[in-house]
Amino acid sequence: MLQIIQKRKYAYAFSLLLIVASVVCVSLWGLKLGIDFKGGTLMEVRFALDPAPEVRAIEGSLSEVALQSLTLQPTDNRGALLRYLASDETANEQVLTKLKTLDPNITLLRTDFIGGSVSEQIKKNAFTGIALSILGILLYIAWAFRRVSGVVTSWDYGAGAVIALAHDIIIVIGLFALLGKFFDIEVGVPFIAALLTILGYSVNDTIVVYDRVRENLMRSSHKEDFENIVNRSLNETIGRSVNTSMTVIITLIAIVLFGGESIRYFGVALLTGVVFGTYSSIYIASALLVSRYKMKTDN
Amino acid sequence: MKQQVKIRYQFALVLLLGLVCGLISYPQAVKFLPPVFAVLDQLKVNKGLDLQGGIHLEYRADVSQIESAKVSDALIAAEAVIERRVNAFGVGEPLVQLSRSGTEERIIVELPGIKNVEQAKKMIKETPFLEFREEADGVTDEDGQKQLDMLNTSSKERAIATLEQLKGGQDFATLAKEFSADPGSKENGGDLDFAKSGLFVPEFDKVLFDTALQAGQVYPDLVETQFGYHIIKKIEERGEGDELEVRGAHILLRKYSVNDFPKLAFKATGLSGKNLKNAFVDFQSQGMGSPQIALQFDDEGTNLFAEITKRSIGKSVAIFLDDEIISQPTVQNEIVGGQAVITGDFTMQEANDLVKRLNEGALPVPITLVAQQSVDASLGESALKESLFAGVVGLGAVAIYMVFYYRLLGVIAVLALLLYTAMLLTLFKLSVFTPFAITVTLSGIAGFILSIGIAVDANVLIFERTREELSYGKGVIRSLKEGFRRAWPSIRDGHVSTLITTVILIGLGTGFVKGFAVILSLGVLLSLFTAVVLVRITTTFIAGDWMERHPWLLASPKKRLDE
Repeated sequence: MLQIIQKRKYAYAFSLLLIVASVVCVSLWGLKLGIDFKGGTLMEVRFALDPAPEVRAIEGSLSEVALQSLTLQPTDNRGALLRYLASDETANEQVLTKLKTLDPNITLLRTDFIGGSVSEQIKKNAFTGIALSILGILLYIAWAFRRVSGVVTSWDYGAGAVIALAHDIIIVIGLFALLGKFFDIEVGVPFIAALLTILGYSVNDTIVVYDRVRENLMRSSHKEDFENIVNRSLNETIGRSVNTSMTVIITLIAIVLFGGESIRYFGVALLTGVVFGTYSSIYIASALLVSRYKMKTDN
Repeated sequence: MKQQVKIRYQFALVLLLGLVCGLISYPQAVKFLPPVFAVLDQLKVNKGLDLQGGIHLEYRADVSQIESAKVSDALIAAEAVIERRVNAFGVGEPLVQLSRSGTEERIIVELPGIKNVEQAKKMIKETPFLEFREEADGVTDEDGQKQLDMLNTSSKERAIATLEQLKGGQDFATLAKEFSADPGSKENGGDLDFAKSGLFVPEFDKVLFDTALQAGQVYPDLVETQFGYHIIKKIEERGEGDELEVRGAHILLRKYSVNDFPKLAFKATGLSGKNLKNAFVDFQSQGMGSPQIALQFDDEGTNLFAEITKRSIGKSVAIFLDDEIISQPTVQNEIVGGQAVITGDFTMQEANDLVKRLNEGALPVPITLVAQQSVDASLGESALKESLFAGVVGLGAVAIYMVFYYRLLGVIAVLALLLYTAMLLTLFKLSVFTPFAITVTLSGIAGFILSIGIAVDANVLIFERTREELSYGKGVIRSLKEGFRRAWPSIRDGHVSTLITTVILIGLGTGFVKGFAVILSLGVLLSLFTAVVLVRITTTFIAGDWMERHPWLLASPKKRLDE
């Protein structure tokens, strides 16, 4: 039997390290917010001219349209990605007109325009969504485990699961702060959707372990101590925790590798969350139950 | 015995469900039966704009000027007007709907397959502004005069600046090419070639012939003429006396007059599109000529039009559409019937569109674009291909993993997974006929791929538990039964927690998130059915003591885990 719980100090240290690193990344660089949160325009065009006009030529042609924080990025197949802050739609029209003078046969592949009031509301919704999800999961676990017996109450189970979840999403946020700084990866609404999905899915493995702890608590003789029961439960369920996560990880890898540019980083966020979710279900969530038990019995 | 009959019926139902859903989701399987194929092939998945190309627009409706009791009526009226306008595009299934976001009233417009995005936006938002104006007789209204003065002041300033640049040593020809408003000489660097005295306007002539300006010099002052502000250079001269010819050059910065702005040459009459009772397409000379637009004014308009035509006999009346002259007929006599025609240079299509838009009138509430997503069809198509490929890879890899780990049970789980996919597709296709049509977006496909991985989770939990029970020495049939029973609480709790977050995601409700969350929640619920109910029926149907003789089929563990 693996001595997972007994060695929880190492897991705590590792997780703490990751969390501190994430917090440092976020406070140093913050997340690179996309137009969903800042408002503005993302425009992707493809030039018919071969070779496509150089970035400087495009910038030159757009200099008359006073655009705030314009960034230009060439893409495959003679394309270009433009990002700028625009307070209304007229700027978008002007940009397109200017680009057409550069190349009359230009194709507008996509335009995403988010006005200020919409982005404000998205921001608010994102926070509300995360808060509601965490609260919902806490309440549900506390309710689902209401018949659990012993020193550790169902609220402790709920709290343990939620702390593990917070751990998972903090690490994902830290990673994206890093990706934003070094690879210009922006976060938008998909990122929030990924975080919420991680919240909902990662808790599954934790539930499986907790469920086994509950079952073993009811069956066990009073001689076996809590720490051992939890460790035994973990060992009994570790195979399925890994397997349930593996099937999801497989599909997420398929999304990241083959799903195309638009959903790639959505997949990366989910993948990171699920991987660390599995880790925290095994090494953190159950260990927290034991720590809580010790806290209560020592007093 | 009775139990066995029941399970046989249930298994037959599973097979039937599989057949029906399989055919609906993959009609190509019956291509050899053309009539059946033809029917099934008509069922289509409703693809989102990001997959088929199109535009999604969100407008904020400004209802602050409307009495609160009338707000909803005004919004419904606006929705109807926009709906009529977008229907004019003839794109497949446009969508116009009202939505409320916080305290804001929004109107959402979705146009699949539209090509010209900017024109579409224009057509949605703008009411054509039709206006009748009469000759101003050189008298410009105050605003117009102000505008002209401003333009001319800035012309003069530019001219002075250019002259300074010349004095600073810049090349005359280069500046002429860049700034001169004289189309005849601009390209030659302002060069006007040799000319005798008297050819140019007097102010200009005087500089070239009556000043001490030497060849190669630029005249140090601006010269103002009726055309504008000139910077003049004498390039060279030849001949003597009457034969004296000067080769000059100039940079012209024009002065504007009312004639440059047709709108200023006419003054407002108060008669505009709001006085229209009706507009329709008519033809010149008995249906043979080009289309023209016939207008019928309301009472106020009729009176106004009569007055205007009365005082404008022999003069012209200009008809402006969106600030551009489209027709400028000369009035022959007073028109009292309140009828007018516009004989612009219309094609049939333009005439029809214009009439439609004129008849619809203005939007009852002002709208502002607050969000837009547009995707070109080519981009949508490649996104669809890529994401479907990712789905196939994901499905295949999960299938291999399951069969590898759980052998026979894995095969059953994979069949259930295929059935799940078919059922989900069937649901998409059939939902089109209900009020809850499901639109599949790119994020929805991502949700679907993720749900494949989640769908087998329940099976993993059940099978692991079954193996565990087997290891306690219970028989196959009992172990399976226990496996399903005891794995259930974890499966239920896990699914509920996933559903909690997906429901919250749906509630937050922007496009990407909603598409993802709707399909993920559907997938989670549906897979619960296939992975638990259908797999249970199937395993119960095939399970038997014969399995005991082939333990490798279930990969039964030889001994208990903890020993």
